[in-house]
Amino acid sequence: MNEVMQILTAFLGSLGFGILFNVRGKRLLAASFGGLFSWALFLVLGFGIVDEAVRYFIVSVAVSGYCEIMARVMRTPTTTFLMTALIPLIPGGGLYYTMTNAMSGDLDAFMGRGMATLSLAVALALGVVVTTVITSIALKLKLHKNKM
Amino acid sequence: MKGNVLILFYITLNYGGIMKEILNTVCDIGEQMLRSGAEVHRVEDSVQRMCKAVGTLRADVFIITSSMIVTVYTEDEKAFTQTRRILSINTDIERLHRMNALCRRVCGGNMSLDEIRAEYNAIISAKGYPALLEYPVYGVIGGAFAIFFGGGFIEGLFAFVVGVVLRLVVALTDRATLGRVFSRFACSFAASLLAHLFFKMGLIPSVDHVIIGNIMVLIPGIGLTNAIRDLIVGDSIAGLLRAIEAVLIALAIAAGHFLFITLFRGIML
Repeated sequence: MNEVMQILTAFLGSLGFGILFNVRGKRLLAASFGGLFSWALFLVLGFGIVDEAVRYFIVSVAVSGYCEIMARVMRTPTTTFLMTALIPLIPGGGLYYTMTNAMSGDLDAFMGRGMATLSLAVALALGVVVTTVITSIALKLKLHKNKM
Repeated sequence: MKGNVLILFYITLNYGGIMKEILNTVCDIGEQMLRSGAEVHRVEDSVQRMCKAVGTLRADVFIITSSMIVTVYTEDEKAFTQTRRILSINTDIERLHRMNALCRRVCGGNMSLDEIRAEYNAIISAKGYPALLEYPVYGVIGGAFAIFFGGGFIEGLFAFVVGVVLRLVVALTDRATLGRVFSRFACSFAASLLAHLFFKMGLIPSVDHVIIGNIMVLIPGIGLTNAIRDLIVGDSIAGLLRAIEAVLIALAIAAGHFLFITLFRGIML
């Protein structure tokens, strides 16, 4: 039940950002569903993989793949989908708890939380980068083939 | 025979004047793409292609998030340069989408300068979602993420209220043109204040989820992700600028909460 609620609110959150960024029509729907997929995949991976950062990385690779495909299908910049679909993965909770630990002066908890939050952010970014690199290599190869 | 119509145009008429006009239009399109939130290397690539398509000999394009410099060299060995200062970036995906489509058509050739101008003006004057819609949308994002991070329905409701107020704070700081970092700082202070106020009044069981929900509203989107992406693709300057902005905003959010807690520790906690 809790998980269903999370997936629904992930969709809503992505939809909200889509509207703030002035995404329109079919693209708005595709972008918001990206948010839904990313959290659903994260939850599903939880059955096999315990480490959150590893899950973040895998989800990030898969969802940015979805973004690249959608961008090609709808002939629009990839940013449209990347900016909205990955929103639920932003470690806002981690940032907040890191802050409260810092304020209460609990240095051990602060370091622990801080490192965990940072590693999630880095895993997220690396996932996007991996997909970007793979896509650009694939596109170059395709162009090359067309020329020959 | 790309851009043959344009070439004919500026060879038969006065060469320099038309070239300036063309460069101006190309820069306008690039500037709008950058302002609407396109990645730097995409805009560089687009401007380069457009310059090629309109028949210049060579084009040197240098773009960072806050400035663009474009120099084109024509076949009679003249050079024209334009620079643009980008003061603010206001993410507008619809405008980016249409500018990108326009750019593709320009690169395809067979578009006269007047046609490009007309399309450009049509895109600029197109209206976005109504501004008032942003108030409930801020609320919905705050509320949704309060529940997402483990809050109950009540907390979601109050996070919605806080989100709407945050949009008001953003409107006020925007009017005073105080910049994004300060705006985030003020918002974060307001969110902390309201959450603790509701908590004190006994309306919500804890402040945590209401604040987290609204941190998600304020956080610089995937600014850091974009920054790392730019860095790895090779746009070091653009990447560093973006990374610094993302980190500054995260610090501003933390500072807002710190300030509230230190000021009111005795009175409210």
